[in-house]
Amino acid sequence: MALFTKGITFSKKVTTLTLEVIDTPLPQRVILPLKQYIGEASQPVVGKGETVTTGQLIATAPTDTSLPLHATISGTIKDITDYEDATGTPSPCLIIEGDGTDTWAETPTTKEEKALSSFSPAALIERIHAAGLITTQLAPVPLTTDLVPIDQPKTHLIDGQRITKKIDTLLITALDKEPFLGVNRSLAGQNNKDLADGITALRIITGASFVRFVVDTHSGPYTQINELVAADEAETTTLTAVNGRRFPIGLAIPVIKAALGREVPLPYGHPRDVGVALYDIATAIAVGQAVNTQLPQVDSLITVGGGALSTTGIVRVRIGTPIREVIDACGGFREEPAKIILGGPMTGMAHYDLDIPITKETEGLFALSHDEIQLSGDYRQCINCGRCVAVCPVNLLPGILSLYCAKDRFDMAEADGLFQCIECGCCDYVCPSRRPMVHLFRHAKRQVMET
Amino acid sequence: METHYIVSMSPHLRSTLSIERMMQTVLIGLIPAAVMALYLFGIKSLIIMVLAMATAVIVETVIERLTNQPLTYKDCHAILTGVMLALILPPSVPWWIPVIGAGVAIILGKMVFGGLGNYPFNPPLVAWVVLKLSWPERMSFFIEPHTASQALTPLMALKEDPSLFYSYAMGDLFLGNIPGALGTVCALAVLIGAAFLLYRGVIRWHIPISFLGGVALFAAILHAINPDIYPPVIFHLLSGGLLLGAFFLAPEPVTSPVTPTGMLLFGFLAGILTMIIRMWGAYPDGTFYAILIMNAATPLFNYLKPKEYGRVNRA
Repeated sequence: MALFTKGITFSKKVTTLTLEVIDTPLPQRVILPLKQYIGEASQPVVGKGETVTTGQLIATAPTDTSLPLHATISGTIKDITDYEDATGTPSPCLIIEGDGTDTWAETPTTKEEKALSSFSPAALIERIHAAGLITTQLAPVPLTTDLVPIDQPKTHLIDGQRITKKIDTLLITALDKEPFLGVNRSLAGQNNKDLADGITALRIITGASFVRFVVDTHSGPYTQINELVAADEAETTTLTAVNGRRFPIGLAIPVIKAALGREVPLPYGHPRDVGVALYDIATAIAVGQAVNTQLPQVDSLITVGGGALSTTGIVRVRIGTPIREVIDACGGFREEPAKIILGGPMTGMAHYDLDIPITKETEGLFALSHDEIQLSGDYRQCINCGRCVAVCPVNLLPGILSLYCAKDRFDMAEADGLFQCIECGCCDYVCPSRRPMVHLFRHAKRQVMET
Repeated sequence: METHYIVSMSPHLRSTLSIERMMQTVLIGLIPAAVMALYLFGIKSLIIMVLAMATAVIVETVIERLTNQPLTYKDCHAILTGVMLALILPPSVPWWIPVIGAGVAIILGKMVFGGLGNYPFNPPLVAWVVLKLSWPERMSFFIEPHTASQALTPLMALKEDPSLFYSYAMGDLFLGNIPGALGTVCALAVLIGAAFLLYRGVIRWHIPISFLGGVALFAAILHAINPDIYPPVIFHLLSGGLLLGAFFLAPEPVTSPVTPTGMLLFGFLAGILTMIIRMWGAYPDGTFYAILIMNAATPLFNYLKPKEYGRVNRA
């Protein structure tokens, strides 16, 4: 299917990744930001100096859009103080000094043997919320905020009218946001007992009639996904294979276009506006685990890569681990890195501090060498070559937009679709004048929002 | 020692393509045409090319020095402008024609607008028009290859007597054994260079193909109407500066549209204009004029945007 033909294709060489999961040793300390994503900061229920066990609730969610916070290692609360979180801004954090034993909290063993299908959506959402799950498809938000339960449809303002759309398709993507990341491809290639349950739970909550898997043709084989598709006799489960080396097909807006041919209204649109619930396979598995075991999420898989690192691959880390410890666990630097990036090299954020923690939304950790990066430096005038137009996944004219933004004509940029930009960075990548397009667009967006 | 990491906005990777690479690739693509010019018209063609290149670089550097701008000779655009101009000059021009031409191309064509990226018209073509209007006899004085005897280019001959086109062998047109401007006579050499550019992705197919398509369509219709006075399609495609124009001058990034639809229309209309000027205009070859006229219209073509993804009307 050629519903998505724009974007850029990376060569096999630069995107090759070992999809084996590497376990890292327990971190000596973890840093857990209390403010998680959009909601209010969680309220700590433990004090300084208290002993905590792994999985113990250490902060409660004050509102529906906040998340409860759990200790991810056992040890003592060393401090509750301001610390730089994954966005590089100081926010109140709980710091746990590990005791190295990883003692788990006593879990309620009253495990009712109840079939998953007999759960109500509200009961499932309760468990997902208690596990502290998030989704990162558009921006990191608590999963329960993003989910649209079948009995509580969310409305959206489009064209001046409120539109309520029922979720009809649950889109489970085995693509990573960038070809350089590999967590979802790695999970899709393995068998996981919680995947089917997670999908069932998400189907019960959203009431979706159809399930669609999106997989990468360059990875696989997808034994379990194929089995799930074959096992569904009602033929409501289908599979779409797309070229995962083509960036940005893994991002939310393009993947819906590529798999279903639907266009999410932009700007400020959400997959639910076109009747789609979009989650990646890692989220589906986490949902399955949360529903089955009622245990909180304490670790996550991240992709570790970049030319400056000795070992690269998929790494299982405890949430809150400082990136310095992750790098040490991977054998340290092979050479002095030029950039440290949380997220992927195309859309991630560069950091200057190795002590910031891995959080739930962290998908990758990249240490790029000086050879790999290319700075804008003294960028040149746009030469109107149209390469950005050829790659822009949302059909903008990035070169012309960047001229408006650089000349402070934010009104014209807005009229020409500035807020449609999904900041994938394709235009930036191809620009022969090395114009910092995404930089200019973000600057312009902020200027417009502030006025 | 405290280490410092670079912090900047995403994306952190970029392609290796740069302006320098683009210009160097186009220069490499011009080598076959330049070599053929040297073979057909002798050492004089090399002198013309070197003079044009040197003047372009010197003039650009002097202007940038005088106006306190960063020097840009390294991006090879000045060299390219010089070579491009030289290749569309007749082989018999005196030495000062390429010098004045390159100066005009850089000053009037490029620098007065603010340098690379800002000029509305293709600089070598601006210079070509200035030379053509200032010294019409010298700019219309063509010679037979390997000799110094004056001859008419096929398109000039066509203006004199429409039926003369039968006297030209298509093989001669293809290999360049005809009078004409330095780089435009040998269609084969231009096509080899063009294939290289297309392969390296420096130019895209939209403009050249629609340009040639426009010419071919127009020529085919005329030829079907009256084969005696209207030459066949292949004659039009191979003669004059059409191939060099379609593959090297019209797709010049700064002066051509950015959207695929815009590029296709730009090329097609340039092809039609070329044919109109060739058939009924005052000049034998309309390619360069057609490109210049379409350059002026380029900003309009940028209104032909592809549909923005997911655009909703915010009434």
